Amino acid sequence: MASLAPYWRTYAEFWRLNFLTLAEYRANFFVWLVFTLVLHGSAIATIWLTMNRFPIMNGWTWQQVVFLYALYWLASSLNGTLFFTVGDVPWHIREGRFDRFMVRPLDPLFQIISQPGQIWPDELIVATIFFAIVQGLVHLQWTIGVAGLLLGAMVGGAFIDFAIQLAVATLAFWVVRLDTLRWVVMSLETDFTRYPLSIYNRVVRFTLSFIFPFAFINYFPASTLLHKTAQGDYAVNPLLGWLTPLIGALWFTAAYLFWRRGLDHHQSTGS
Amino acid sequence: MIISADRLTKQFRTLRRKEGPLGAIATLFSRDYEIKDAVRDVSFKLDAGELVGYIGPNGAGKSTTIKMLTGILVPTSGTCTVDGIVPWADRQANGRQIGVVFGQRTQLYWDLPLIESFQLLRAIYNVPAATYERNLREFTELLGLDEFIRTPVRQLSLGQRMRGDFAAAMMHEPKVVFLDEPTIGLDVVAKENIRQFIARVNRDRGTTFILTTHDLADIEKLCARIILIDHGRKLYDGSVETIKGRYGRNRTLTADLNCENCDDVRITVPGANVVSREGPRIVIEFDRDAVRADELVVKLAQHYELRDVTIAEPPLEAIIRDIYQHGLGDGSVAARDGLLVTADVETVS
Repeated sequence: MASLAPYWRTYAEFWRLNFLTLAEYRANFFVWLVFTLVLHGSAIATIWLTMNRFPIMNGWTWQQVVFLYALYWLASSLNGTLFFTVGDVPWHIREGRFDRFMVRPLDPLFQIISQPGQIWPDELIVATIFFAIVQGLVHLQWTIGVAGLLLGAMVGGAFIDFAIQLAVATLAFWVVRLDTLRWVVMSLETDFTRYPLSIYNRVVRFTLSFIFPFAFINYFPASTLLHKTAQGDYAVNPLLGWLTPLIGALWFTAAYLFWRRGLDHHQSTGS
Repeated sequence: MIISADRLTKQFRTLRRKEGPLGAIATLFSRDYEIKDAVRDVSFKLDAGELVGYIGPNGAGKSTTIKMLTGILVPTSGTCTVDGIVPWADRQANGRQIGVVFGQRTQLYWDLPLIESFQLLRAIYNVPAATYERNLREFTELLGLDEFIRTPVRQLSLGQRMRGDFAAAMMHEPKVVFLDEPTIGLDVVAKENIRQFIARVNRDRGTTFILTTHDLADIEKLCARIILIDHGRKLYDGSVETIKGRYGRNRTLTADLNCENCDDVRITVPGANVVSREGPRIVIEFDRDAVRADELVVKLAQHYELRDVTIAEPPLEAIIRDIYQHGLGDGSVAARDGLLVTADVETVS
């Protein structure tokens, strides 16, 4: 019977080693942090500029749209902190380094996400601070229910993000180069999570709800939290906001099963 | 018996490329696959504690076989077990009992001091503290790790890194260790270090080793048994001595003569041929079973003054090369075309 001890020991080692490299890669750490701030700062500036021209977007004020962004950033930075290295899978496969994960006694996916590297929770901290400010702008009324929904949106949202990235990375077991597809999915995610889903047509709504369910990361939870049940022609059931953890679990399970199939299909390049 | 491979076969499917100006686009939509047998019906059994050389030319299927035994690849047909476990069916259980060293790809963490990689592997393999301490001490001593154990791996020389990789692969005391080109690129001293370490672990711990290599000196120094494959099929499985006895009947005699017109030197012994001459040095190849060495020397001495004479059996490398080129055929393949390269001969005493 496989014991769980090596998993948590490895995971603890992984974080210890990450912080160990922090001292060595201080410059890199700061460059990365500044880059992250500029990236998100410009995204937020774009939202703000757009909202200057359309003060109300399908019933959403600029503060509420920024809240949408803050919620998304929270989940995606949690994904980035915990599961960032899943994006390295195609590269490991192409370079023939993936084999190593298959000859060790732990789940290869676990080994991928616990590869010591330059991973620090800096972005998650910045995103949390940003969220703390923005929730004041929308006058969020804190109750246990609200906190629970937010936690579910954050963790479930991180798993949705992770599941999609895992599924795309898994394709690398069949296809050598995936850069374009990864880029398409990534832009789909960053571009279409910025504004309320209700401004898009039915194809986009359907895609973002049931194929790449990014709407569950921020749009549905935000609609529930901000009581936005009717937005133009689009009615949102407030219960949808609670479904994020379930959607995250379902999509992750599907992606993981796909990944397991990929492992058996691994062709292992080179000698 | 610790490893059993039964008619292992692995086929790879590759898209057949289209010719012509629109070839690339045609290839994109093509379903025209070419099926290639990387490994075909390979069977063998290994006993615990054996140290076996698994050899063959590039593309013979060595790595593909190793990848099936380690669970990386799922075979197209056939099966194998490693201490009772089907590797690809239970990778994690198999992972606990095997160690793998890929000479070309380190498993050490580039940015971290060597010791930190060991710590992480200790957690991954759930190695008990006492076992870890004991192995760390023993490997440090055997491989001389203490001079660089706190150095980041990226700053290590290749020889140091390989020593670190060996220790890393053995920390959890695997029953079977797969070595894929473990001495590639190393200098003579580092190679010797690694070979001694393998021999020592094999002897003291009874660890089973499967070694693929292009450096047949590794095989000559370490392995009693070799499995030879080519084009995915097993050609030979047996002792190194047997292969030398059967396929290495040729001997080379190198003589330094005292001659004025050395280019005129002729030798008229049936079964002996001059394969090279360079100044006063003449290299004669003969079939051990057809020509007696003493007769050859006497005959030579009757006509010329001999300054120096050496007789050498062919190195394993020459025998294997000959088998790659001509197949197994009958015993005296090497004698047929005078294939032995004299450069190899000079290194043998």
